[in-house]
Order: sequence, then C-alpha cells, then structure tokens
Amino acid sequence: MSTPKPFAADEESVLMAFSMEPSHGRETLERYIREYPQHATALIDCSIDLLHEPPADDVSATVVSDSAVAKAWQRFERAAQQPNAEVANPFAKLNQTGFKSLARSLDVSNLFLMRVRDRAISAATIPARFVEKLASELGATAHAVGAYLQGPPGMVSGHAFRSSVKPSVGEQITFDQAVATSQLTPEQQATLKALSG
Amino acid sequence: MPEPLKSKDKHGAPFTRPPEIEACLARLESVDAVARLQVFAITSRKSKGYVPSEALTHFLRRAWAVGAQSEFKQIFELLMKRVGQSLCSTISDSRMAGAQSIREEIIGRLAERIAKDCNGRFAMLDFFEVRFDLALARFRKTVLRQIGPTSVVTVPLSTDGDEGQDISLEVEAAAADFLGGAPEKIDDPAFRLELDAAIDALPDDQRRVVGLLRQGFQIDSKDPNIMTIAKMLKCDERTVRNRRDRACKTLRAALQEDA
Repeated sequence: MSTPKPFAADEESVLMAFSMEPSHGRETLERYIREYPQHATALIDCSIDLLHEPPADDVSATVVSDSAVAKAWQRFERAAQQPNAEVANPFAKLNQTGFKSLARSLDVSNLFLMRVRDRAISAATIPARFVEKLASELGATAHAVGAYLQGPPGMVSGHAFRSSVKPSVGEQITFDQAVATSQLTPEQQATLKALSG
Repeated sequence: MPEPLKSKDKHGAPFTRPPEIEACLARLESVDAVARLQVFAITSRKSKGYVPSEALTHFLRRAWAVGAQSEFKQIFELLMKRVGQSLCSTISDSRMAGAQSIREEIIGRLAERIAKDCNGRFAMLDFFEVRFDLALARFRKTVLRQIGPTSVVTVPLSTDGDEGQDISLEVEAAAADFLGGAPEKIDDPAFRLELDAAIDALPDDQRRVVGLLRQGFQIDSKDPNIMTIAKMLKCDERTVRNRRDRACKTLRAALQEDA
C-alpha cells in the first residue's frame, strides 16, 4: 500500500488497470477502492459496466448500411483534423498572485493580461514576439500558447456586477485596440506597439 | 513479435494481450495487407478464419502509425460494421425507440475516439485490443447514459402466450434473486437483457447500489474491516437502503409493464 507508485494514479490510468484485470467482481473492486479511494465512484461505475461479460454469441444477421459506416468515417475525419481541439489553458495554473506577478514581469496592466487570457483579443493581431515573451514567462512553448490564443473567446468569469441581461461572450478586439484601452501607461503602450514592428 | 501495448500497469510493465490474441497477431503479421483484409472481412464468429476484433483494432492502429492510409480506411470500415452488428443485438429496434440513430451515435463516438487515439490521446483503445467485446459493452453503456434513449420499448418476455399474472410473479422472484446477489439463477438471456437495461436506466445513485448488491457487497457492517456499500458510496446505510428500495420499485414497475 505504501510502496512508491511509479504509476500515474489519474482516473484514466486507474480505470485502465482495473479494466485489464481478469475479473471485475467484488474482490478486485474492493482492492482497487482501498488503494484508490479518490476514484471510488468511477471504479464502481466501471465495475458495474464490466461485470456481465456479453456472451460471445454470433453477430446478428443485420447488415450495417454503408451510409452508417460512411457517417462514422466523416466523424473520424473531422475529429482527426482537430488535434488541438482541447488545447490546455496555460494560465490555468496561475493563482491571483501568480497572475499579477506575470503582469508585472511582462510590464502590462492586469486588465490587458486578462484580455489576453480570456482570448478577448484576436489572435491574428497579437505580435509573435509578444506570444514568445508570454510563453517564456509561463514556462510553456510559444506553439502551445499560440494554439491556446487561437481558441474562441471565453466567457469572462469573475464579473462583479449584476446584469439585467444574460452574460455572453463579447466580440474580439485587435491587439492595438487592447493596447489603447487597457489602462496602460504611454511607455507601456509604446513598448507593446514596438513588438508589432 | 506484435508491438507491446502502450499503457502500463502500476509496476510500469506494459499490459499484455491474451495469448490467443498474441498468436493471432503474430500469424497475421506474416501475411501481407491484402490477405489480412480478406480475413478481416469475415464477420461470422463461427466461420473458419474469423479474426477477433481485438486483432482488427491492433492492425487499424498499426496502419495509422505507419501511414498506410488506404489499409487504415478499409480496416476502419470493417471494424465499424462489426461494431454496428454487435450493437444491433444489444440495442435492437424492438427494444428501443430510435434504436438506429442511437446505434449510429455510438458508432460515431467510437470513430471520434479512434481519431483521438490516432492523435495519441486515447489510451483506452488498448483495452479494445485486449478484450474487445467487454470494452465495447462499457463504451456503449457510457454513451447510452450520456445520450439516454428517449424511451425504452419493451418486448414481451415470453413469446409462447403465457398469461400476465404468472410472468409477473416469476419476474418478482427473479428480480429478488437477481438483486439478492444470485444472478446465475436467471438463465433466460432475454430476461437478463431486459433487467440489465432497466438497471442501466436507473439514476446513478440507485444504479450503483443495485450494482454493488449484485456483486455481493453488504449494505452495512459493524466490522470496520469489511468494505460495505455505505462506506464505498460515503453515505449513511439508511440512504443506501432508501436507494435500494426506490430502485426495486422502479425495476418492478418497469418489468411488470412487460408482463
């Protein structure tokens, strides 16, 4: 139990290991729940799904239509072409202090950095040099940060005002517009604008 | 030698395929792609030369890895046909409204998982290489719970014209055995399928209680060393009993409708 685990105990790995067990009944489930109590619910669900092995009877005579297979292929192709659909948010690991100190190191206002984070700025207008700088401060690759910034604008969380209308995602603004309207000092604005050159 | 699986157990060793699958892969590696596709096209498990779907999954992934696009597409299509056929027996038109679109959705989602695997992010496909039917069963149940059948159409349990009253008593007794942890007492596969579907359709909290009872866990115990349902679900034993009672009521109602 207390032996060091070279094993990533994330849910997927634990469920995979459980699935690969020769049996999924009480004894196995109990052993896994004792070892990975944090994944108890997922393990229980998995064990219920795996408990009754389907009889290996012959497949039905029904013929699957070519159109059903063609539809599946289309879905495959669409999904295969979007490898970056789930790009990680490089800002996710920052807490409030980390976020503020990042703004300080980049010498930009918090508001400006929030707009970058929430993808309120059109990615095409952000200078590559700014992305590189941001990436190096975040400890990520420019490619990863660039991919993240390409995503759709996010719903800005943490608004502190009541609204009579349903909050929605706003239109993206350009990098220059963001520079001009984010409470930056004239010096900061000049530095940022110089990056586009 | 077939390439070992990528996912590893907690000791860092790759998971292994059953020996018969390994042997099948080794045999198929010695022939060319055309010959392989010919045997992959055999769909009846009883036919001589039938290749298990675990092997199709393996060669599908391998075709992608080596960039054999045409081979990949052909194996993909054969595999999807097999999946579709297998789903026909578990999600049949007579048992579920809109069965065809549900089957297509499950196949479509599996296709997306395969795409995810091609992009290197879906290790779960390893399980399909080891125990395909079981992996597919789990995948089907997960998707079904997510999309949910709009309504479940049930077929009569008996086709030889038994009267309702008899069946309903039979159902009660069988359900009691079933929930009492003696599922082997039910040997009628059609009934099991009905009961399984009814259990699957229960709300999560009730389904877990029923599932754990079926595995033989006890609700509660004075012995702190015994793993109980209450402990596993982190709730009071009375809550567990409540869930069980509600589940039984629902199941009884669902199964009596058939009778």
